[in-house]
Amino acid sequence: MRWLRNIGTGTLSAYTALFFAFIYLPIALIVIYSFNADPVNMMRWSGFTFDWYKQIFGLRNVTSENALYIESTEQLLKAVRNSLTVAAFTTTIATVLGTATALALYRFNFLGKKFYRVLLFAPMLMPDIVLGIALLIFFISVGFSLGITTIVIGQCSFLTSYVFIVVSARLAGMDRTLENASADLGANDWVTFRRIILPQAMPGVIGGALLAFIISMDDLVITYFISGVDTQTLPIFIFGMLRRGIKPEINAIAVMMLLFSFAVASAGLYLRSRRG
Amino acid sequence: MQPSIVRLERVTKTFALPEGGMITALKAIDLDVRRNEFLTLLGPSGCGKTTLLHSISGFVQLDGGKVSIDGEDVTERPPHRRPVNTVFQNYALFPHMNVDKNVGYALDIAGTDGKERGRRVGAALELVGLSGLGGRLPRQLSGGQQQRVALARAIIARPKLLLLDEPLSALDRNLRQAMQIELKGLQAELGISFIFVTHDQEEALTMSDRLAVLEKGVIQQLDTPRSVYSRPANAFVASFIGASNLFEGAARSDGTDMLVVTPNGEHIRAAGSGTVANGQPVTALIRPEQFSLHNGGNGQPAAFIDADVEQIVFTGLNYQIHGRTPAGRKVVAIIAAVHQREVAEIDAAKKARLTYDPAGVQLIGASGGEP
Repeated sequence: MRWLRNIGTGTLSAYTALFFAFIYLPIALIVIYSFNADPVNMMRWSGFTFDWYKQIFGLRNVTSENALYIESTEQLLKAVRNSLTVAAFTTTIATVLGTATALALYRFNFLGKKFYRVLLFAPMLMPDIVLGIALLIFFISVGFSLGITTIVIGQCSFLTSYVFIVVSARLAGMDRTLENASADLGANDWVTFRRIILPQAMPGVIGGALLAFIISMDDLVITYFISGVDTQTLPIFIFGMLRRGIKPEINAIAVMMLLFSFAVASAGLYLRSRRG
Repeated sequence: MQPSIVRLERVTKTFALPEGGMITALKAIDLDVRRNEFLTLLGPSGCGKTTLLHSISGFVQLDGGKVSIDGEDVTERPPHRRPVNTVFQNYALFPHMNVDKNVGYALDIAGTDGKERGRRVGAALELVGLSGLGGRLPRQLSGGQQQRVALARAIIARPKLLLLDEPLSALDRNLRQAMQIELKGLQAELGISFIFVTHDQEEALTMSDRLAVLEKGVIQQLDTPRSVYSRPANAFVASFIGASNLFEGAARSDGTDMLVVTPNGEHIRAAGSGTVANGQPVTALIRPEQFSLHNGGNGQPAAFIDADVEQIVFTGLNYQIHGRTPAGRKVVAIIAAVHQREVAEIDAAKKARLTYDPAGVQLIGASGGEP
């Protein structure tokens, strides 16, 4: 029955290869196409070029009638700046709020704690569309003018939950007797928090912040509802471009975003590993 | 006279059970811990021994009673302001700090200056035999080494007494025995009281100056290991400390000796007479090592029990003989390994005549305590 087992193993290997190809092939193709010189048909390879990268950085202006639908490099850079601004604020606020909430729920018992926990999970389960509409209606009814501020507030409303969950998971694995040991050795509650609880929660906090940052940079649906007409984040900008046809510069932008995400994630993982 | 280092007066603690109802962990406990003594709290799990320890370190809020340390009432004081330190069961080393930071933690919080700190951390590490390992993280140490770090960390602030919460339970047998001797030596060297919690009776007998046997939130007996072993206050203590053969019955005097007559009609002979009134309920205790297989030379043996042998276990030092009396009661006898010929005989016969000296039989009154 050896041959039967061999066939089984072979099939499994093939399936695994197919699975990973399905996930990574499209991404690989985007990277390849971003260097494809053909301005009209991406599927036809007509030489290697950095043109699209030069184009998005404003280093080169191609004025062929077929190509280059980027309205202007300035607009692109402005969208990137908006995205980074939003992500920076959102990450900071969501991390502080989420961590504080997780610590409070870890440390204290109070009436309605379980209910509170469920409420914190709910935004993760809520459909983006619903959350987007709800936020939009809310902002308009209280008279907020849509822009960076509303995007930050809106994203915080669900990213706080993400941070909370990541930090809570970290805290759940912590040994409560360490707090007793710290108190036993003369530390009051604040010193115990600063020297024992927080350093140990840190990998969770960093992980939560990272997740919040990446989701914030990436969010389209909710942000789309609450960004208003004048403010574009990068995903909204790209979405706008797509509606006028898939153009080669998009590949270059996608590759840049991919590299950026990798860089952020690697930095975060590095920080986590150093803190054990 | 100096006050005792720890005095507990009517200390009471009740916990609510998660499934409803209450459990009394400590029932109005009075306890005096002497200076420089090694006191062990011994009992099965759930007997209240850890709660008792926590009432001294401050980790439980008492429902009633008073705790004094070195003559000072500390009942309302939080743990970080009590002059005691604890070695925790799982060591509770701070995983993100190296050995040096762990050991120096109490000094860092007290703000001890760098030179003094370095000297004392060095001395503490040397005392527990870990010099040179200050840079390691706890997870890079073996169980025994972690145990020593926990010890060094707990003694560095020079506490008035050290509490140890089953600190040896995670170690393997050989290491545990070595640590028992080391702990005893350390206690003598430091000249402070140790309160040691364990459920291991052998550990308690080996190490303690005195031991307190706890059950159901009450101290059943507080005495030296020898006294607790040879004169258990009640049937619980007798069965918890060392293996025991207990025979409950009614007392009867035959003129020279006391007889304990069990409901099944077995007779256990105890030397001396007149200590228990005729007909009183009483329990006779015979330790397994009190049995022997010979008849004590010529003539009639003083006292014996006949048993059907069910199992013989050889442990190296001795044979454990598990048997059953004709009335169906289990008896255990321990026979030294040198008697292998006699043991072989009873192994073949599956019957044993277990003789004992009536002078060694302990009588325990039904209400607890010596009759």
